[in-house]
Amino acid sequence: MTAFRAHVRRALADPALQQALDRNAERRRAAWGPAFASLTDAAAVRRRATEIRRRTIDELDPQLQAFIQQLGTNGVVVHRAATASDACRIIVELLRDHGAQRVVKAKSMVTEEITLNRALTAAGIEVVESDLGEFIVQLRGEPPAHITAPAIHLRREDVARTFEAHLGMTYTTEVEAMTAAARRALRSKFLEAQAGISGVNFGVAETGTLCLVTNEGNGRMVTTLPRLHIAVMGVERLVPTLADLSVMLDVLSRAGTGQQRTSYVTLLQGPRAEGDPDGPSERHVVLVDNGRLALRDSPLAESLACIRCGACLNACPVYQEIGGHAYGSIYPGPIGSVVSPGLWGTAAFGHLATASTLCGACRDACPVGIDLPTLLLRVRAERAADRRPPAWLRSGMRLLAFAIGSSGRFRAGLRAAGAASLLTPKRDGWIRRLPPPLSGWTGTRDFPPLARPPFRDRWSDLAAKADAPEGISLRARRPSPETPPSTTAHGSPRERFTSAAREAGCEIVECTSAGLPDEIIGALGEVGAQDLLTWKSEGRGWGSLLRRLEGDGIRLLTPALPRQGDRATLAGYAAVPVGLTGAVAGLADAGTLVLPAGPGRSQLASLLPPIHLAVLHESEIYDSLESWLPNDGLRWLSTQSAVVLITGPSRTADIEMTLTVGVHGPRRVVVFLVERDR
Amino acid sequence: MIVMRADLFVTCLIDAFFPEVGESVVRVLQRAGVDLGFPAGQTCCGQPLFNTGYRDLARAQARRTLAVLEERRIPVIVPSGSCASMIRHGYPELFREAPEDLARAKEVAGRTFEFSEFLVEVLGWEPPRCPATGLVYHASCHLQRGLGVDAAPRLLLEQCCGAPVPALDSECCGFGGAFAAEHADISSAMLARRLEQIQASGAGRVVANDVGCLMHLEGGLRRAGSSVRCLHLAQVLDGRGDRLR
Repeated sequence: MTAFRAHVRRALADPALQQALDRNAERRRAAWGPAFASLTDAAAVRRRATEIRRRTIDELDPQLQAFIQQLGTNGVVVHRAATASDACRIIVELLRDHGAQRVVKAKSMVTEEITLNRALTAAGIEVVESDLGEFIVQLRGEPPAHITAPAIHLRREDVARTFEAHLGMTYTTEVEAMTAAARRALRSKFLEAQAGISGVNFGVAETGTLCLVTNEGNGRMVTTLPRLHIAVMGVERLVPTLADLSVMLDVLSRAGTGQQRTSYVTLLQGPRAEGDPDGPSERHVVLVDNGRLALRDSPLAESLACIRCGACLNACPVYQEIGGHAYGSIYPGPIGSVVSPGLWGTAAFGHLATASTLCGACRDACPVGIDLPTLLLRVRAERAADRRPPAWLRSGMRLLAFAIGSSGRFRAGLRAAGAASLLTPKRDGWIRRLPPPLSGWTGTRDFPPLARPPFRDRWSDLAAKADAPEGISLRARRPSPETPPSTTAHGSPRERFTSAAREAGCEIVECTSAGLPDEIIGALGEVGAQDLLTWKSEGRGWGSLLRRLEGDGIRLLTPALPRQGDRATLAGYAAVPVGLTGAVAGLADAGTLVLPAGPGRSQLASLLPPIHLAVLHESEIYDSLESWLPNDGLRWLSTQSAVVLITGPSRTADIEMTLTVGVHGPRRVVVFLVERDR
Repeated sequence: MIVMRADLFVTCLIDAFFPEVGESVVRVLQRAGVDLGFPAGQTCCGQPLFNTGYRDLARAQARRTLAVLEERRIPVIVPSGSCASMIRHGYPELFREAPEDLARAKEVAGRTFEFSEFLVEVLGWEPPRCPATGLVYHASCHLQRGLGVDAAPRLLLEQCCGAPVPALDSECCGFGGAFAAEHADISSAMLARRLEQIQASGAGRVVANDVGCLMHLEGGLRRAGSSVRCLHLAQVLDGRGDRLR
């Protein structure tokens, strides 16, 4: 508690931090509302999400068993770690077994929780954080300050100075220039890395799918380029089915970043399959307990439903004042003040729960209905039972309980306190100064004096003066609820896809199948591209399209990474300016493209080049993720090692929450929407 | 015509610090046709004990308060979103492992109403016009989020003033009970933001339904040397007084 107080004091007195928090505040808060408004019935979706997570935690043992079994069937190697140090040991051993000296990481809170980077560095393994925000805080030697926005405590000037010092970059506060510098610095790391480590947003029990929700593209790099991918996840991060997953995805990106769908939703089904041109030869999952399973039997069990979206941090007025680092736990804010004492004990972290006014903004923001104020109160109860609050609070509450324990004592107490308050200095009748512990109040606020007489002594007069009640007619006259803006989806699937995809930052070129080659050639000509990284798959006229492009003098590269050894090929592909793919489906709800892995379908084509051209046939447009995923989605997932959902260009908002496109993945996504043949 | 009988749970803060608010509450409810009683045994709902984690003490106080409110099985009106929320949600949480007490708590919770909620949702009462001007409304956290009562106070203000009353954004004032003393620095930083907003609103009076928030805001306004003062909704509806006390 003493350390916490010192952190709080420092945070409140740090003008740079306060400025950063203020600059980010508006956008942090604005993130949430409009995105949910795009759902026809947001409340119902949140109720479903809540129900799914509750059910998962209630049935965690069988769900976990099914998940592990399914992962095995999919060819993913499963490791279970009871503690943080077990998890680190397992990962270090895996890396050593594979001779991996250079590791790239995607953002993962559980790896922060188990302090994996420290363990890797101690083992002589180079580890580079590749999420822009994580990259920045790693350069600065700091932990992340927020669950989803690690560098939220920094102003653009602070980032500029960090890049100046560590990347040798000329000082600039242009967010785009800084983002580009990070892209350059990390590109070589991706290409050289021998292993990738990521977190997992959701594991799907019925299919063994690992789902990653990302924006920058670094998550795709980490899970696609290196030969070894290790995914680290908390044992509670499951959903039972793909249908459930689609509901969770609908709330996670909205609550976390205010997006309908993040740029990338990666669905990993197994390691690189026979015939896949790329992907890691081995995929491992480390399931971390570290106190989670025991939490199920505690009064804080509800907190296991958390999906780490960070919405409660964004809504919290205390977080707004002190930022994330002051909490002294990797999980800050309202959820952190419950989860930290829940996982690692009230003795070490229980005091965090006192830093709340119980205002309930966190409960309102939580997309999975966690009653955070009630859980904070339960932590406080545990803390009081362990006699941890300060002595003044304990004796003060005993005294209060005695005084309010009977109306006689209450009256006597008021009289005594009233007499004592006569001695206090006042202005305009209000008290200017009180002794500790109330001196905290009077440091910045006047305190009201006790009133004489109290209300209870005025009641009999009031009751006597009452006119004979006139009587009332009971009318039901509830205030009319505000009519929510009509958000009912309208238009054809094609129209809705087009408008949502444009909204997400895609460019749409509508064409006929006959006109498609010319449109693509035109687009390549516009950017002066001679080389094209492309899919090789047959079907839907793809072969003739490629022949036509070749005939036009365009050099086609169809990636195929060697399973072992040489990474030079990779560097060659990375220099190609444009990638061409064929989406197997488009999802109208958010303008999403569906790209499965598989023979001829390189994942690099939609990831490495700065420009991604995707062909989508109108007949392949589906209504929503929810209608596609459990049906056609399931078919793709059961036959392919990975499916990626792409919604707009690669993007980040990690520097002052300023949206910047083209981080690690493409900065332009052009969709060639091919009309139905008439 | 029906005469509605109800008991007033006035709350310890109004009782001890702001009896004038209680007087306005009584007058408004009587004017709205309520035959109001005041159970003499009442003191405090026990929320400070609950919020600081002293559950045994809080449970004893909750049982005491339940007994007082069980004397007559009629609606209970609480002129504070926070204390009403304590009875409605806090008591069931305190007794979640004690079925008998839980049943009692739920019975009382089911007939406990916050002041504005009772006027609008139960009575459908419309206040007479009054001359109040220059008001800005502060939505108290436990009222708007704890009880989900937000439209009722705004409607009453609009009817009373003849036009919608502007509101501060829905952020906490930083009071939080013991929090204000235990984490005085965070609390003060939160308060400073609200004071800036009040200043920017140009209003002369801040209206809310909870004297906890109001004593916090007014304490800050007074210290800052501002001439802005605070009022409980009941005082506005009562059409008298231009200050808390």
